[in-house]
Amino acid sequence: MLGALLYLRLTSLRNLLVQRVRRLRQPKYLVGTAVAVAYFYFILIHRNGPAAPAAAMAAQSMAQAGLLASAATCGGLCLLAVLRIAFLWIMPDEKPGLRFTEPEIAFLFPAPVSRRALIHFRLVSSQFAILFTSVLIAFFFNRAGYMGGSRATRAIGWWIILSTFDLHLNGTKLTLSRLRERSPRFLAWRIAVVLALAAYVYAVFRSGIALVNAYATQTQSLLEAPGALVHQVLSSPVFFWLTLPFRFVLAPYFASGLGDFAAALGPALLFLGLHYYWVSHTEARFEEGSIALAEKRAAAKAAMQRGEMPRIGNSRPKASPGPFPLSESGPPEIAFLWKNLLSMRSALFSRRALLIVAALALWAAASLGPVLSHQARRNGGDFFSPMVLGFTAIIAVYTVLLGPQIARQDLRGDLANADILKTYPVAGWRIALGQLLAPTLVLSSILWVLIVVAAAAADPLGTIGWLSPGVRVTAAVCLAAVVPFVCLIQMLVPNTAMVLFPGWYQATRSRGGGIEVIGQRMIFGVVQLLFALLVVVPSVLAALLVVFSSQWILGAGPAIVLATAAVLMILASESVMGIWWLGERFERFDLSVDTR
Amino acid sequence: MIEVQALAKQYGSFSAVRDLSFSVRPGEVLGLVGPNGAGKTTTLRCLAGIIPMTSGTVRVAGHDLAVDPVEAKRHLAFFADEPRLFEYLTVRQHLAFVARIYGVRDHETIATPLLEELELLEKADELPGELSRGMKQKLVIACGLLHSPSVMFFDEPLTGLDPLGIRRMKDSIVRRAQAGAAVVLSSHLLHLLEEVCTNVLILKKGEKVADGTLSEVSAQFSNGEAGVSLEEIFIRATGGTEG
Repeated sequence: MLGALLYLRLTSLRNLLVQRVRRLRQPKYLVGTAVAVAYFYFILIHRNGPAAPAAAMAAQSMAQAGLLASAATCGGLCLLAVLRIAFLWIMPDEKPGLRFTEPEIAFLFPAPVSRRALIHFRLVSSQFAILFTSVLIAFFFNRAGYMGGSRATRAIGWWIILSTFDLHLNGTKLTLSRLRERSPRFLAWRIAVVLALAAYVYAVFRSGIALVNAYATQTQSLLEAPGALVHQVLSSPVFFWLTLPFRFVLAPYFASGLGDFAAALGPALLFLGLHYYWVSHTEARFEEGSIALAEKRAAAKAAMQRGEMPRIGNSRPKASPGPFPLSESGPPEIAFLWKNLLSMRSALFSRRALLIVAALALWAAASLGPVLSHQARRNGGDFFSPMVLGFTAIIAVYTVLLGPQIARQDLRGDLANADILKTYPVAGWRIALGQLLAPTLVLSSILWVLIVVAAAAADPLGTIGWLSPGVRVTAAVCLAAVVPFVCLIQMLVPNTAMVLFPGWYQATRSRGGGIEVIGQRMIFGVVQLLFALLVVVPSVLAALLVVFSSQWILGAGPAIVLATAAVLMILASESVMGIWWLGERFERFDLSVDTR
Repeated sequence: MIEVQALAKQYGSFSAVRDLSFSVRPGEVLGLVGPNGAGKTTTLRCLAGIIPMTSGTVRVAGHDLAVDPVEAKRHLAFFADEPRLFEYLTVRQHLAFVARIYGVRDHETIATPLLEELELLEKADELPGELSRGMKQKLVIACGLLHSPSVMFFDEPLTGLDPLGIRRMKDSIVRRAQAGAAVVLSSHLLHLLEEVCTNVLILKKGEKVADGTLSEVSAQFSNGEAGVSLEEIFIRATGGTEG
């Protein structure tokens, strides 16, 4: 069995490399590879090279703070690992499965091999990915160099951490499956384990906080000697025993020399071996769950290649009523708007997605809020207004630049249906316009809300003389009028890229497509940014010119209106030309040529 | 109804279709056959206006596809071998969307009997992800028939259908042709041609090898022998090699 696995993996790896090298003959892959290699060289490897004397001194002084940061990061990651395990116990899969690919299932499940052999196959198989990841992380990220040890020891350390966690996850899934099959007290078992985990986390927190408080009473500031604080916490007997399992796993990574590493390796490997024994000797059904899991992964991969964003969570799409009643007659563009708004609601605005966005917003508010308010206090200004304006500006920039990459319910989302769209009795430019309406409307709506918020929050004390309520409202309305055109033009960029270079676009959609795909994605991102500048700069210059030349005669309000009219003319012309050209290209678009 | 003159499709230096001419009148069903890579799907995609032809003329219901594509497309329906559907639209919403695109007035009165005929009425509020492959195929057919096309193109119409579905699909094609539609279908299944098609066009390496009614094509390749099967005729016509 292991021989077959080795043959499968090594042959596949060899063929993959040969295929990757061969496709470098195509410029899109060659350029992508060159960009990505240059990026990794200059950003990661070059920066990780021999440090300059000044940098080395700075690194020395940073070591203490780095130790504290590392300890906090480790603590956070361990907590996340415990939460992940707890989540499995709280909400176990109906049919827990091990991660096999669809071809593996097709060939191995009907083969005359035992269930245990299949588990071995899965565990050994995952080692290839874990080894690769460990080497990659140790090679590229040398940030913990101040703690001693070498890249090799840190790579092995990473391998132990990732392997143990992978085994623990699989062991938990199999144990849950076995309990579900054989124990009438399945729920009771789960409650007991979750309570035990909660008690464990509570105990670790309590002891940790007690130790930090004790240290704080001895010293003036917690940050005065962070190394000593970390040492005191870690050497406490209670904390030592509570965190012993994590220490086994993490010790090889944090070993400062070869002696320490050798001493840490034994317990870590023993712990890993126990996990392996646990997983490989747990008799439980996993076949159905594995098949379902493989199907789900294959569907997600296919969706990615179709140009869709992966759906958050495991939920299947649900039918929902249309965003508005669709009449039988009228411009066909509205039908595309209706269809794509319907898709967006299901794809982007699921309850889980909204929860994640809310959590991210809270996190951003918690982390950025104090900085902005501190700045505001230092300047003797208002506390709330700069914070709100800062947030709205950041979200607006992200909406304009990243929004088109997230809201894909346009031509990109319908790449698989391109043949069907082209049989419709609708001109290409009308299909293009219709397809872009929904994401444009959604992005514009976000920006409109931000404009209202910014207009309300700006200068609450009325210190800016010319910003009268009338000017404020005029500026907000004018900005709101410009927004849809900016969004539409921004949406044109990725859609045009998809129609012009479908091969490139398809390649960037493949998951784990290799270094060349990373390079291609970077090129797409840069092009989006450059295009945004190219579109916005002439409009901004025109607006400034009109405002400054006319405000002396007309006053601020009318000058803003006049400038907006000029901007709208420029943006509308750009939009019309862009839509018409995209439609023309779409009519001649033949995916089979470019992806041959 | 469908008139094709000197149709050619070139991919770089590769000729997928060369100098292809034929016509299909109302009530006729033309079977497009040929080995793998003969250019059947490329021909159908050119005829449906999905990909631009390199040269030649295609007229659909009297409208030149290159000159007036919108009007030509108003009269045709294309049925791909794989059902392509919008993931987030229910069966009913698919029909509403298609009705708006084609400007079908009072589409409910057409859609409801169509859904009944295709046994989709109970699934009207379900998403494609909840439908079986056969059901998806039926939904594609319902969408294609909603605007009462006079020209229909089927690419491998029996792929993935169960025996009952195959029977219904064959009946449906024949019925539409009898009602006056011009139909072109591509298939590897020679028994489908025998049962459904009035005419046959054999392609090989992008070129027409034979064209005519089934009996005419049989006569051309039977060498005077009696009772030569269609399979044998196909092998003789294509030389028994791939496209």
